[in-house]
Amino acid sequence: MSTPNSPIGPAAATPMSTAATAPEVLFDDVSKFYGEVLGVNRVTLRIPPGITSLVGPNGSGKTTLMNLMAGLIHPDRGVITMRGLSPRHPERLMRILGYATQYDSAPRGSTGLDFVTTGLILTGFSSAEASTRAQAALHRVRMAEASRRKVASYSKGMRQRIRLAQAIAHDPDILVLDEPLNGLDPLVRAETIALFREYAALGRHVILSSHVLQEVDIISDQVILIANGMIIAEGQIRSVREEIHQHPSQFVIRCRDASRIASLLFEHDHITQIKMQDDRLGLLVMTRNRADFSRALTRISLAGHTVESIVPADENMGALYEYLIGGDR
Amino acid sequence: MTNAARLRQVWTIARLQLTRVFFSKRSFWVYLLAFFPAVIFFAHGVEVKFKRDRYTSRVTPSSVLDAIRAGDSEGDVLRQAPGPVSDERYRPRRRRRGPDAEQQRTPDRRFLAYWDGSKRWELNFEDGILQTKRARPLNDFEEDRQVYAGVFQYFYLRLAIFFGCLGIFMNLFRGEMLDKTLHFWFLIPARREVLLAGKYLAGLIAAVVIFGSGAALSFALMLWPQDPTALQTFWATDGLSHVFWYSAAAALACVGYGSVFLASGLLLRNPIIPAVTILFWESINGILPAMLQKLSVLYYVEALCPVPPPMDSNAPLLIRLLAAPAEPPTAAFAVLGLLALTALVLFVASRAVRNIEVNYGVE
Repeated sequence: MSTPNSPIGPAAATPMSTAATAPEVLFDDVSKFYGEVLGVNRVTLRIPPGITSLVGPNGSGKTTLMNLMAGLIHPDRGVITMRGLSPRHPERLMRILGYATQYDSAPRGSTGLDFVTTGLILTGFSSAEASTRAQAALHRVRMAEASRRKVASYSKGMRQRIRLAQAIAHDPDILVLDEPLNGLDPLVRAETIALFREYAALGRHVILSSHVLQEVDIISDQVILIANGMIIAEGQIRSVREEIHQHPSQFVIRCRDASRIASLLFEHDHITQIKMQDDRLGLLVMTRNRADFSRALTRISLAGHTVESIVPADENMGALYEYLIGGDR
Repeated sequence: MTNAARLRQVWTIARLQLTRVFFSKRSFWVYLLAFFPAVIFFAHGVEVKFKRDRYTSRVTPSSVLDAIRAGDSEGDVLRQAPGPVSDERYRPRRRRRGPDAEQQRTPDRRFLAYWDGSKRWELNFEDGILQTKRARPLNDFEEDRQVYAGVFQYFYLRLAIFFGCLGIFMNLFRGEMLDKTLHFWFLIPARREVLLAGKYLAGLIAAVVIFGSGAALSFALMLWPQDPTALQTFWATDGLSHVFWYSAAAALACVGYGSVFLASGLLLRNPIIPAVTILFWESINGILPAMLQKLSVLYYVEALCPVPPPMDSNAPLLIRLLAAPAEPPTAAFAVLGLLALTALVLFVASRAVRNIEVNYGVE
């Protein structure tokens, strides 16, 4: 049983949690339409455990995907499996899934503690255990002090945290979170990311949507880029980047004799552009062939030129977003 | 999950939902509907009590009043019985002029009322001569029971419970959709059917408590000013049976209309459409073929009412048919029929709730 002083969830014993046999989230050719408006179209996904970020512009279908996972909406075609369970069976699925939506759902006049406790009682916990778990969850999201206040009086960030507390209170194997970091202050944001990492480290799913691409870079084990209801790319950020051939890969090389290395690199066809950095101790190199670039740089190093560091410049969400979806975030 | 655990879930959902149902701002008017007749009966009771208290100080023996005959003059009557409890005189304001003025003039009228301790005597004079005399109780228990039967059947069953259930049960899902809180319930580990049952139970408890209290209070207030002897006889004979069947009819109306509006709330967005359609269907029930009459809540619950409502025998046949079914079922058939109808409607609702989606954007 969790206590307010021990982190809820990953380390806690979970009598309600089901050890699923197929620990993946699967979408098989799933489409969803709202009347004639496309929600998502022919989505096929295999999401392994870990932190997965859904990234896409407004109206791209991120929330639709999440609602489909939780069974709040049903696909017009295709099949969804959440660690072996169908979203059509909330009685089983909701024991292993916690979903923090972007909407408040606290009954009018209820306090934060009431709200989280109510969810746990409905899950089947006794009043005493529900209260203990609720307090632990509230403690985990730094809402213990404000838990006796009415939800209606909370700020945006506090509402965000109370929804997160409700989602994690029953210690689910799958956390689905719609823009969970919105409105959080830096300290709570860092703690929330740490919580996601704890969950992911235990082989659980943390699926979230975010507009803050820098955060997606930092926290995600894999990303799913979605636009106009279609999956544009999915996988680890690096592997997604490697699949994008029409945009040259960018690397920043820090070195002493930058101009000499630049001239040596220009002898190779796959190098499309080199920019000297202002301090003349670095180069931004664009190449069409990462493998050839790697070999060329090895040869240059062996020839006695000192290369201090090589860092990919566009293996991040910002670059992927720009390449695959466009500048409008 | 065991069925016992599911039943516990149903009760937990109902318990949590009850607060929302009882204190929803959206359905505050339901209380007004339920308790409006009680206000009328209370006012009637106060009036009767007030009159009785006032009359008690001016009792005229019935033997004196019996001796008064039609044709007696005002003066004779007032000499024999000098203490009327009420004396009202009506004089025409202006008299016509002209040759036929005498034939067309309106007579002077005077009404005297006396109290003999149990009955009110009303004496009607024209131009100073007694025309009619009649004695009647201050209030007629039989008449009051008829009035209550009319209020119960025409107001409670056809309007108050109908619209009250519309307000309560349509809001159970549709109201949560409008408040963008329905996902809270859909994210609990419960079958949708269990959620439906929990919400229905909450709505039913609220509706039965609100309308049962309203009808019971009205009934009590109808009995309040009655003569104690008449009341004693009533409780010794039909009283408890009437209370039981009125309660049963009110509760079963909530059961039936609740299920219908719960299903409507799941299937339709606009409450006006089902309200108008069902109200029309229920209204024409009396003129429908026997088979179709059975698909009406009113058909069953009216049959349970212990006192037929008052109906003017001169009313057109259509009105009389609309007010009451041609062949009311027996009480047992009515109860079983209504429960069967409710089960059918709830089955349809359970199919609908499985497919309902949380889509706040289109609300």
